[in-house]
Amino acid sequence: MQMLAYIGRRLIFVGPQLVGILLVSFLLLKLIPGDPAVMMLGPFATDDGLARLRSELGLDRSIFEQFDIYLWRVIHGDLGSSWQTTMPVTSDLAQRFPATLELVTLSLLLALAIGMPLGIAGARNKTGILRKIADYYGLVAGALPDFWFALVLIFILYTILGVAPAPLGRIDFTVIPPPDVTGSLLIDSFISGNWAALGNAAGHLVLPVLTLGLINAAPILKMTQSTMERMLEADFSRYAEMCGLPPKVVARKALRNSLPSVITIVSVLYGFLIGGAVLVEIVFSWGGAGQYAVQGVLNADLNPVMGFVLYSAILSLVIYLLVDLIYFAIDPRTR
Amino acid sequence: MATTSAKTSDDNEPAAILACRNVSVEFPQYGAAASVALRDVSLNLRAGEVLGLVGESGSGKTMLARAIMRLVPPPGEIAKGSIHFDGKNLAELDQESLRKIRGRDIAMIISNPRGELDPLQTVGQQIASVLRHHLDLDRKVARDRALDLLKQVSIPDPQRRLDAYPHELSGGMAQRVVIAIALACSPRFIISDDATSGLDVTVQAQVLELIRSLVSERGTSMMFITRDIGITAHYCDRIAIIYAGEIMEIAERAVFFDDPQHPYTVLLLAAFAQNERLRRYWLGEDKARENSGPSPVGCSFQNRCVRVRERCRTDHPALIERQPGHLVRCHYPVERS
Amino acid sequence: MSLLEIQDLVQHFPIAGSKSVVRAVNEVSFSLEKGETLALVGESGSGKTTIGRCVLGLIRPTAGRISFRGIDLGGSKTVRSPDLRGKLQLVFQEPTESLNPRQRVFEQIDEPLRALKVPRPDREKKVREAARRVGLAEALLDRYPAEVSMGLQQRVGIARAMISDPEVVVLDEPTSALDPTARAEIIDLLIRIQRDLGTAYLFISHDLSAVRHISHRIAVLYLGKIVEQGPSATLFAQPSHPYSVALLSSVLLPNPRIRSGSSIRLSGEIPSPINLPPACYLAGRCPLAIEPCRSAMPPVETVAPNHDVRCYRHGEVAGLVPDFDSFARFQSEADRILSAGVPAL
Repeated sequence: MQMLAYIGRRLIFVGPQLVGILLVSFLLLKLIPGDPAVMMLGPFATDDGLARLRSELGLDRSIFEQFDIYLWRVIHGDLGSSWQTTMPVTSDLAQRFPATLELVTLSLLLALAIGMPLGIAGARNKTGILRKIADYYGLVAGALPDFWFALVLIFILYTILGVAPAPLGRIDFTVIPPPDVTGSLLIDSFISGNWAALGNAAGHLVLPVLTLGLINAAPILKMTQSTMERMLEADFSRYAEMCGLPPKVVARKALRNSLPSVITIVSVLYGFLIGGAVLVEIVFSWGGAGQYAVQGVLNADLNPVMGFVLYSAILSLVIYLLVDLIYFAIDPRTR
Repeated sequence: MATTSAKTSDDNEPAAILACRNVSVEFPQYGAAASVALRDVSLNLRAGEVLGLVGESGSGKTMLARAIMRLVPPPGEIAKGSIHFDGKNLAELDQESLRKIRGRDIAMIISNPRGELDPLQTVGQQIASVLRHHLDLDRKVARDRALDLLKQVSIPDPQRRLDAYPHELSGGMAQRVVIAIALACSPRFIISDDATSGLDVTVQAQVLELIRSLVSERGTSMMFITRDIGITAHYCDRIAIIYAGEIMEIAERAVFFDDPQHPYTVLLLAAFAQNERLRRYWLGEDKARENSGPSPVGCSFQNRCVRVRERCRTDHPALIERQPGHLVRCHYPVERS
Repeated sequence: MSLLEIQDLVQHFPIAGSKSVVRAVNEVSFSLEKGETLALVGESGSGKTTIGRCVLGLIRPTAGRISFRGIDLGGSKTVRSPDLRGKLQLVFQEPTESLNPRQRVFEQIDEPLRALKVPRPDREKKVREAARRVGLAEALLDRYPAEVSMGLQQRVGIARAMISDPEVVVLDEPTSALDPTARAEIIDLLIRIQRDLGTAYLFISHDLSAVRHISHRIAVLYLGKIVEQGPSATLFAQPSHPYSVALLSSVLLPNPRIRSGSSIRLSGEIPSPINLPPACYLAGRCPLAIEPCRSAMPPVETVAPNHDVRCYRHGEVAGLVPDFDSFARFQSEADRILSAGVPAL
């Protein structure tokens, strides 16, 4: 009940928050030099033609008027189309956003699977071998650029060993993709029983997920380790020791108390990687949302960029709401 | 050597439940001599006895409690001495056996319990988890026992409190929960570390009465650590004074308060007195104050002592039994005719 | 005209996001004379600290009148007016937290003078004098707070409060963070300063043995209301409110033979100042409570000159505790024990 009221209160602000985000990114994009009309008509356009196109696109009006028009269309579900792909932005994103989500979600799951156990082990035994490994890991993974690491992985696993598929998209051209339901190739091929596609798509995911997962395990490891260390030294852990509770139980208490910080860092990484995975997407020709948005920025193609911003903003708001609800569930003091 | 001396004194006092012999706790320091938190502490606790341990902050009173529990914070360590409990030397016991003793045979009541209870678990869960790990009870039985314990420490509305989280409790109630956890496995020895210092005075009075009645009902031995010498006059059978990690004076209650002999003990008592001349004398009032911490050479109390003489600067005094059961560490103890 | 006069002081704090208020202070009146110490005694939630803050103009009272030398302070503005500057001062409970860890002791004490724009040579002299007065060795002036003991830190706090020659000093639990001996030393120091300078103290505390020692008059607070007020000696010898009795009997003096045999034991804990009991605030915990205690707030009754009580059954309370003053009995025993080894006069 209390929870529903809380969600309700949060949802009220979603609309204004989204408008604010759109306005800021709209203004920022307009600051970037580059005239869409020139880009679209190419080098042999006439001045007359350019002027006509500009007024067609509404570029001759003031920025705020332009935003007004854009917003009005967004409210009616029209995100415009991209002049590069000539497709509506909504259908472009319907394809690309799930591709990125699939990649980022799996990468973070891998990062969690590596970072948390290593962080916990490092915090529990500050002189052990695992702590050493954790420290070096954090240092190295924190310093590696992800695209470079991706190239190294490709070189070793594809070029030399030949165990990984070619870094060319999400699925081989020779494999018939499953019908589009969720946009995630794994899920779609699973529900349609297309095992060939499932195996192939999974194979293509291995390298990019490995890249992002191994790199992003570092911040999760650091956060888990430092919070867990603090919690193991907290008064309640000392008291649990005085009560003779087994080390395993003490560690579990400390872990539960550390979870909020770990969840926070995961949610921040998630929001960040939606756009931040772009270099890795490019290396693997992933065709993800980040790649799409960057293309838009480079070619003064406004609509794809704004569409990407809107989708990411909604996703972030959903993630932060989820995070709050998880806090709610874990910590009675927030209720 | 330490073990044999422990043996002989055990023979003399067969009822001793805990015997510390020459316990020293040291914190190694880089490029310097280790800092000494406890120095040669020897103490016996008889079955059913409540021993008051009085000291100021930093005197080492909590360190003694932690040494007995073998939970000295690193890098500190028990540098020497033996702690005999129940025929075992706790100072040499392995961690797993120690863990089975903590909370079960030796329990601890702490101060500021709201910060020491796990904020994410209900009171019932926390009491039950101690019961389950030490006594192997199943979930249901442990919960019933937890409820029973809450009733014993007279928490109002115990059924409801079982499902309360620590932040929902008042200070006094959280203190009662911690007492309930200490009693859970019917330990033979309880250490209370400044347990009532954070409470309002009227609530403190209630909690002290509760501890006293529960302890005497069960014949539990107790070490009552406090910085308030006033409490020990009413709730302890024997009182030990600790300063800079050393026992300065120890005696049965009646003797202790009637004939305190260490200048530091008298100083602690003078803090309560109204007679201005006596107060001024013992508190050493008129001198300008520099930092006057414990001295490493000679008597550790020399910098604050009003009776200090030449010998105190160089000779470290031993703890000497001046009357049977009354031990004083001073070259020039206060004498009464 | 009293030096400081508080009339019907009320302080309510609204709780954010809710309609309820914390009723911290509820119609409190008292006065303070020059050179006098009035102790405000009470446990947590009694409103004693809030009253101190109101007096200093740190918070604006919800209602009521605070006047100093007959001038209405009426909130924070007047307190900062030039002729009142530095005349009201505060000593905090936690010396460690109230001192700036990055300033030397000298600068800490000097601070109020800098605010008052006293010329530099005068300041230097005054700071040394203040340090001497509180018993700080000259060498300590160049140290940082963390390098000296808590007791010495509190001396710095007192020196800082005293340096602007205040007429009223609010002492907010100045000893409760200290070890017992340091506590006693600070109390003695405060008494000596008052004797020399005639400063009036508003001594806020829950430590009754300290209160007994330093104060001339005592006001006992419970949930933001004064339940009993009177001269120190009378209140200790003949407390007439059940709460005062309970407070006094909770003091544990270091003598096993002296134990207040009070028959009044309070049950439960202090209720929240958000939902105050409807009539007498103590009714729910008081063993003597009768019907009227639960239906109407008892009026203030004067039982002896300057001794006011707010209890329907004060007569019986006084009857229950004949010769209550265990403090006095304790003193005679303490004298005997402490005189050993003390050179005769």
